[in-house]
Amino acid sequence: MNQPLWKITVNVLRQKGPTDKPHFQSFPLEIHPDEYVLDAIEKIWAFQDRSLTFRHACHHATCGACGMRVNGKEKLTCITSLHTVVKNNGVLKIEPLRNFPVLSDLVVDMGHLYRQTEEADFQQVVPLEAAQLPYEITPNRTPNEPYERLVDCIECGLCVSACPAAFTSTDYRGPAALAAIQQGIAFAPNEVLFDLADHENGVWRCHSAFECTEVCPSNVDPGWRIMNLRRRVIHHRISRVFKKSQKVSRP
Amino acid sequence: MTNQSSPKRFIQWFDPRNRQVGSWAFILNRITALGLTLYLFLHLIALGNLARGPEAYNNFIALAKTPLIKFGEMLVIAAGIIHGLNGIRIALTSFGIGVRHQRALFIAVMVLSITGILIFTISMVRH
Amino acid sequence: MRSSNPHIIVIGAGFTGCATAHDLALRGFRVTVLERGDIANGTSGRTHGLLHSGARYCVTDQDAAIECIEENILLRKIAAQCIEYNGGLFVALDEEDEAYGTRFEQGAQKCGIPIERLTGNQARKKEPNLTPKTRLAYSVPDGVFDPLRLAMAFAATAKKNGAEFLTYHEVTGFDFDGKGNIREVSAINRHTNEKIKFTADMVINATGAWAGLVARLAGVTVDVIPTPGVMVCYDQRLVQRVINRLCEPDDGDILIPQRRMVVIGTTSFEVEDVDYIPVTPAQVELMHQKAAELVPAVAATHQRGAYMSARPLIGSTTLGRSLSRTFKCYHHQETDGIGGLVTITGGKATTCRVMAEKTVDLVCNLMGVSRSCETREVVLDSYRDYYTHS
Repeated sequence: MNQPLWKITVNVLRQKGPTDKPHFQSFPLEIHPDEYVLDAIEKIWAFQDRSLTFRHACHHATCGACGMRVNGKEKLTCITSLHTVVKNNGVLKIEPLRNFPVLSDLVVDMGHLYRQTEEADFQQVVPLEAAQLPYEITPNRTPNEPYERLVDCIECGLCVSACPAAFTSTDYRGPAALAAIQQGIAFAPNEVLFDLADHENGVWRCHSAFECTEVCPSNVDPGWRIMNLRRRVIHHRISRVFKKSQKVSRP
Repeated sequence: MTNQSSPKRFIQWFDPRNRQVGSWAFILNRITALGLTLYLFLHLIALGNLARGPEAYNNFIALAKTPLIKFGEMLVIAAGIIHGLNGIRIALTSFGIGVRHQRALFIAVMVLSITGILIFTISMVRH
Repeated sequence: MRSSNPHIIVIGAGFTGCATAHDLALRGFRVTVLERGDIANGTSGRTHGLLHSGARYCVTDQDAAIECIEENILLRKIAAQCIEYNGGLFVALDEEDEAYGTRFEQGAQKCGIPIERLTGNQARKKEPNLTPKTRLAYSVPDGVFDPLRLAMAFAATAKKNGAEFLTYHEVTGFDFDGKGNIREVSAINRHTNEKIKFTADMVINATGAWAGLVARLAGVTVDVIPTPGVMVCYDQRLVQRVINRLCEPDDGDILIPQRRMVVIGTTSFEVEDVDYIPVTPAQVELMHQKAAELVPAVAATHQRGAYMSARPLIGSTTLGRSLSRTFKCYHHQETDGIGGLVTITGGKATTCRVMAEKTVDLVCNLMGVSRSCETREVVLDSYRDYYTHS
């Protein structure tokens, strides 16, 4: 652990106000390679430029505030060690998440995502009994994979940033909200959730790129959940038709 | 803001950098879909021309035998195969089949596509 | 609409700032919160998230313990959305711990904290990953809260009741009216780099570990000693309940489950600069060893991250009025002759609501407003409404 400090260059995409043109600014930095990308950004802010804005809160992957693009890929910067994304004397590129409005520098407006998960009535923090219901286990889990809980989605927005469908349509509910709806329906099917899912901006907007599952830092696996939700929606439609015809045929 | 349409944004639709195979499949599907749609219009125009009489017909058949058009036809077949097979892959995953193996499925689809395209190309060159 | 009502500026949107804004808004004040970063980007966001039952302090500091259990019960009622209430265990590993158990039982009873004595086997049945050396354990009503979402729930409710949250607005100075009263607050909007001034009838400095720095902008001193501690987080949820060592509060004696992780805390040392505190490998190693004593499986679990959080500890030399032993509220008119400025600091996340209550009581008193606190009853809105209420 007593390695010497690394010298790296951090290129940050900056933008002040909505009319400012985004541009990269370089910051030279000496930092320990075991520190995290978020530490590097915080260090730039603390010692070089107080006007740099970025979102962060928990620093350990439980709040979902510090999602950014690191060298083009969506990462939760608080748990991304520097040595995994940059070499000594190397260059690190930091950009805000895509598919969200940029407020300034690395700060994006997460409102859309939060409103979507709220509409899905997704309980984020729940006690044990509620978190361990059988429905949240995704299939083909390897034995070493940590136990997956309903509440693992931290609303970080990485999935929305990586999603090509979210890129083409802002009205798309997005992978996080659809995963939340899937969990809600799996637990207690109801018409409100089915209506949210069975919509052009619901499950049918997904183009099966599976980028969401790839970038999710919490193993929520939104890709699998959206596919599962499609099946449930189709099943629901068929059974609804069947029920209706049953009703009609009765005297 | 994010969703202002611009040529740059349109190009980003097809930007595969830092993306996974899922996005590659998505981009390929878009390109092939656009190509096939374009072909459909060309095809209809060409068919319209055929109805103008024997001379037009003969001219067209002569044109259709040039290497450039043959290459174009090959592209159409390639697009059809890729788009069709990838469509089957997406349909399968949508029904919950092979979601966990979508990468492998994509690779299988590509291998099948390339094989199919090769077979068609060879048979076209032979004739 | 409430233009005749006094306008209060709260500096800081951590737990204290958000809870204070919520309390002020409920009591009808016009509230503007200025925060240099985003909600809970300082100490609040980085807490370990332990909703104290008070049991940790029931031997060493019973006032704090009583405060904790009262607030624990209240928060579980008003902020259930942000709390994983699974209980906790105090675990004895050796004779010394066992001997401490007697004092622990007496303390808990005196503070009104419901505990239950378990044998080592009973404890291990509840938590199979506990060390086989467990001799006995006490179950306590500890919980775990989600730090960012708890702050956001207070902020969301405050917003609904009219409070304005200006994040990325860093306070740069104060203007006085010539009689020693604060009249204006200067800030810089970090989104645009514009400078803005706000007029206020009263300013509440709720900046925790930074309270001394903000107070210095007004030319007054607040004796806050930023006291960081390290926390290390592991990739698996090895325990379902908060695990404490049954002994006097010490380094590395708590394991807190959060989502699919477990967080181990913490240490305690003093620093001058709070804005960037590097994590030292020695501290991480100490946490690792201490945690493995309680839960041996930690040794084989992948480490997910390590981070620092700076508590605001109040210096012993302060003149401030002591509203409680755990937190302090300074009325700078009394202590420094500066009117219109109140500082609230110290305390714990678990007690943020009562800190806000006492501060707003003081503000009401100073401004001659008589409206009583309602935050004990009002259930907080969904934290996501922070983005819905404009």
